[in-house]
Amino acid sequence: MQSLARAYEGLLNAFKIGAEIVVFLIFFLIVTEVFVRLVGLQPSSYTLGVVEYGLLWFTMLGAPWLVRMKGHVFVDSLVSLLPLIVQYVLAKLVYVICIVCCLFFIYYSTDLLIDAFRSGEMDIRGEAQPLWMLLAPMPVSFAMIAFEFFRFLAGVDTMYTSRTAVRENV
Amino acid sequence: MEWYWAFALLVGMVVCLMAIGVPVAFAFITTNFIGIFIFAGVHGFIQVADNSTVLITRFTLGPVPMFILMGALFFHTGLAIRVFDGLDSLFGKLRGRLCYLTVAGGTIFSTLTGSSMANTAMLGSLLVPEMQRRGYNWRMSMGPILGTGGLAMIIPPSALAVLLASVANIDVGRLLIAGFLPGFVLALLYAGMLYLQIVINPAGAPAYDVPPTTWAQKIKFVTFNILPVSLVIFMVIGFIILGLATPTESAACGVLGVAILAVGFRVLKWEAIRTSLSGTVRVAGMVFLIIMNSTVFSQLLAYSGATAGMLDWATGFEVSRLVVLAVMFLILIVLGMFMDATSMMLITVPIFFPLAEALGFDLIWFGLFVLMTLEMAGTTPPFGLLLYVMLGVAPKGTTLLQVANAAIPFLICDLILILILIWEPQLALWLPNLMD
Repeated sequence: MQSLARAYEGLLNAFKIGAEIVVFLIFFLIVTEVFVRLVGLQPSSYTLGVVEYGLLWFTMLGAPWLVRMKGHVFVDSLVSLLPLIVQYVLAKLVYVICIVCCLFFIYYSTDLLIDAFRSGEMDIRGEAQPLWMLLAPMPVSFAMIAFEFFRFLAGVDTMYTSRTAVRENV
Repeated sequence: MEWYWAFALLVGMVVCLMAIGVPVAFAFITTNFIGIFIFAGVHGFIQVADNSTVLITRFTLGPVPMFILMGALFFHTGLAIRVFDGLDSLFGKLRGRLCYLTVAGGTIFSTLTGSSMANTAMLGSLLVPEMQRRGYNWRMSMGPILGTGGLAMIIPPSALAVLLASVANIDVGRLLIAGFLPGFVLALLYAGMLYLQIVINPAGAPAYDVPPTTWAQKIKFVTFNILPVSLVIFMVIGFIILGLATPTESAACGVLGVAILAVGFRVLKWEAIRTSLSGTVRVAGMVFLIIMNSTVFSQLLAYSGATAGMLDWATGFEVSRLVVLAVMFLILIVLGMFMDATSMMLITVPIFFPLAEALGFDLIWFGLFVLMTLEMAGTTPPFGLLLYVMLGVAPKGTTLLQVANAAIPFLICDLILILILIWEPQLALWLPNLMD
């Protein structure tokens, strides 16, 4: 059991590092394209597609870690005025809602992924890319997000430890 | 279903879910699944998953992580402190020098970072203790920081402007550039307001002796600490205006510019890069997960007839379009008391932008109006996020009421700028029109 937990932690961190690498890759590809164009060479037609896919990939890869870090924005101004027991019950309800959302996403994104894989559908973004590559991270990521919310539901941790703290935003 | 019921159901559901503490991203996902079930049945469920990839895989959203990365690198490498030291040397014995320093520093930081919260936190933690030590009262020490923290929302690069433009489907580059001149006018209004406050209450910002700085020293500080950052500003704003790069490309070039400066000053450390990338995944990832479902939410509003019905209803009144604008302003301000800017944007954009278009407003101008209002909304009590950022870095014993009071003169400046923009829209539109 402990080795399974360690493997999961490793996967969570690997996904987060993967997200950071994708962000760096987006930066590198775009800058390279601008440079190549400025020196009069023909830029790669794959950049657009890779960057666009990268935006979804880094979001999905970083999403489970974000839940672990309690990095999601939520409005706590009204709930914090309620009695503690009501806050506790509402928090559990919120976790259940989030888990159900994830389960829906796991089911339907898996459906889309299998369909895209079987049909060999191509996505045209500069160059044609297999559509399944876009959808690939979604089922796994949502499964891990669901697990993170399940940890909160089971009482391992709570998302609301810092109810009055300011969460980062743009 | 009548449009008003559909409207109340969809918007009400998002707001209620947020009110019980559901994370914003999941409030939208839940509403989308329930909404699609009501309006399209179980067969619509797959559309929620399918359409969620549409908006966030657009190249135009690329500047969001890039601007956040650029700002993070700027702060984590210590370049921000260098710029600040350079500015500090310029103000001499001017009464209220730390307040003016805040406005100047905040304006320059706004041209280098896309995050208003990062600006407020940085300026607050740097300057408030020093202002308290010098005998500045709480109003003078916190007000300008709150004001200039919000400048980052409108002065390019602004990550929020990119989000707004992408969600509202308007030109990202034009909206970014539209905020340039109004941002600087706002900085001047802030400086004017400070002057007025100091004239009314000179004891609020007592003069004090500072070590004299020779002209040679000042020139050295400006040359080595401030002028180099113009490279970054040029690589972002200049590239867009000159048509050398798209906003996404110029944002990545901005990151490169900060990295070049950091290498030049020998402050580009592995730790700073890792922290910046991690911060980018955290902030941009959170925002992207929220906007993943905004397309479906907009489509639901349109499919249910809520958008069309609301438009017919709102444009059916015999009132001036300025009255409608005022109502939209008030709605955003009220929402801002409880919500963050991204959530407010996603709820209101599918309703406000079609309405603004129907009323004949220029959508770039209207986008800037929304950004200005979001900036004000972030500083409104009781739950404006910038107030809490300020409270977090303010000295012990500072109350939220004091922070909110200190912000009022600067909110008035924001309002004056909005009135100027209504009176003279070309202030916002002149630069974007040059891009044609």
